Amino acid sequence: MTLSTLEKIRNAVKQRPGILESEKNNGKIVVGWFGYFIPEEIIHALGMIPVRLGRGGDERLVELGARYISSQNCAFIRASMGMFADDSDPYLRNADVVAFDNACMQIFRLGEVSKYYFKKKTLFIGVPRNPYSIASQTYFRNEFENFTRNLELLAHKKLDPLDLADSVDLFQNIRDVTKEIVQSLLVSNFPLSWKEVTEVIHAGYYLDKRNYLSLLQELLREIESSTKSTAQKPQEIRIILSGSVVAPGDHKIVDLIEQMKGTIVRDDLWSGLNPSLQMHIEHPSVSSIADAYLSRIPHYTLPCIEKDDDFRFEHLKSTVLETRAQGVIYHTIRYCDSATFKTTGLKNRLRNVGIPMLEIHTEYSDSDVEAIRTRVEAFFEILKMQNESGVRA
Amino acid sequence: MNRTLVAGVDIGSLTTKSVILSNGALIGSSIIPTGIYPEKSGLEVLEKAMKSVGCQGEKPAYTVATGYGRISAPYADETMTEITCHAKGAYSINQATRTVIDMGGQDCKIIRIDNAGNVSDFIMNDKCAAGTGRFLEVIASVFKVNLENLGPMALQAEEIVPISSTCTVFAESEVVSLLARGEKPDNILRGVHHAIAHRVTGMTVRVGVDDAILFSGGVAKNEGMRSALADAFKKPVIVPNFDPQIIGALGAARIAEKRVSCDAS
Repeated sequence: MTLSTLEKIRNAVKQRPGILESEKNNGKIVVGWFGYFIPEEIIHALGMIPVRLGRGGDERLVELGARYISSQNCAFIRASMGMFADDSDPYLRNADVVAFDNACMQIFRLGEVSKYYFKKKTLFIGVPRNPYSIASQTYFRNEFENFTRNLELLAHKKLDPLDLADSVDLFQNIRDVTKEIVQSLLVSNFPLSWKEVTEVIHAGYYLDKRNYLSLLQELLREIESSTKSTAQKPQEIRIILSGSVVAPGDHKIVDLIEQMKGTIVRDDLWSGLNPSLQMHIEHPSVSSIADAYLSRIPHYTLPCIEKDDDFRFEHLKSTVLETRAQGVIYHTIRYCDSATFKTTGLKNRLRNVGIPMLEIHTEYSDSDVEAIRTRVEAFFEILKMQNESGVRA
Repeated sequence: MNRTLVAGVDIGSLTTKSVILSNGALIGSSIIPTGIYPEKSGLEVLEKAMKSVGCQGEKPAYTVATGYGRISAPYADETMTEITCHAKGAYSINQATRTVIDMGGQDCKIIRIDNAGNVSDFIMNDKCAAGTGRFLEVIASVFKVNLENLGPMALQAEEIVPISSTCTVFAESEVVSLLARGEKPDNILRGVHHAIAHRVTGMTVRVGVDDAILFSGGVAKNEGMRSALADAFKKPVIVPNFDPQIIGALGAARIAEKRVSCDAS
């Protein structure tokens, strides 16, 4: 069953490049961005259009990008570099400025190299490696203040506190409705798959934010009117997807999981739900927004500072318990060292609390699809066996 | 004759294997090279295995297919991954087995088994021919010897010539360079086997190793590899006293047997 609002969202995304171009021609400034720590509220409050960038799953872009950036950057970074070289992505092409944060140093490098070769106007935000100290908080507030000043220069206006308050409210509403929609995935006869919910989240990268919020609210109403049961489907394999970015266009791992009759009940991805979680802006001010961004679930590329009880691990563990997932698939993209490096530690920690984890290490080419299919299928066989023998509730 | 036959078919990248069980006993098996049509190879090996037990033209009571060709096995009642099948096969041979090292034609797997014979964890090599039958085939072609001679040659080595790469392409050129430098072929081959064994031990970091270790797959026929693995793990490595290449098919047949017995009860 396809929900009518989902079709509306798809149509809105199809029409968005043309609308964005018109808005740009009418004097609106488009701010494209890569990363996790770019404050869209501030961009929006200054009357600019924030657009999240990045594509996955396209081997051609990876090859193209590898002409400019080392092949030991992950496939997502190379594909994103390929977007600059290809110049056919309507969002990147229409971006007056592109912002990057350095939580992931490969994204930072993407910014540096794309600036060098393609002369795009760029802005950077530094992210402290340890988010827990006062010095980090001060540094990060300063980074956001600098970022705001640079945007004000572009916008030829000062940030208005009332506009900022409006934008903060708008984005918080988007996050709240997103969380409600994702929560509905736990309902057995939920009319959308995780892949479709993620398509909706990715639509938010591009659409006008007020229009997006009203579409999300409409979608939620439609979902609520169509779901009733909370019983678990028989024979269902419930999976949480974690690890590296699963960018728009990258369907490989998700398709394989769904083909194997797995149900992704939640993700733990910076390209998925995570930006909507654990975010509370106390006051509509730049420093308060900085504090809220820094207090979110840390980006997976940041080191584990509190090694014994890293917030990300605790979050993943509690998500497994909440969703009654049977296992975690930890998807890592080749040369995404920060995610890959954490695999063994994460796997051991999850094993200690009885949660099986499978790592799938891959890139965008299809050459390993059958090998991955075997791994996913074997993992599901383990989970089914555990179900049958009642090893884990 | 009143007997229930069940079958396992393992369609690998290089060879296709079948095992026939009756009343818990392995009564027949067959191995053929995998052709370009995995479905045909599976059917052919199954027919041969049935013929070997005097049941030509008959259909087993239940057939489980495994291996990469399992997705093209409409003749099978069920399919199962080779990971589960190797675990089941290894456990049925020796219930003390807790780790299976399977080195096949195109991949290498480390499978951990719990005390009930179920898979608890596994790891497979990643888009790479190192540690596989294909790698050894390439090395055999460099030395211009038959594949089955590699192991005995390696065991005759007086010393181990270290090989720095297990990448098939790089290892091939490294071996050519070593031959040009005048290193003895036996010593180089010992080095090749040890390089593969150390790569396999490296793979176990993420899943661990527990006794007893059972070595399966076509490469397990290579005595040089068996010796190199035992050296690398510093533990004995068990090889079944029949063809180690049919462990996956045996596991598939064991699963088939269980299905039939469940139906009967």
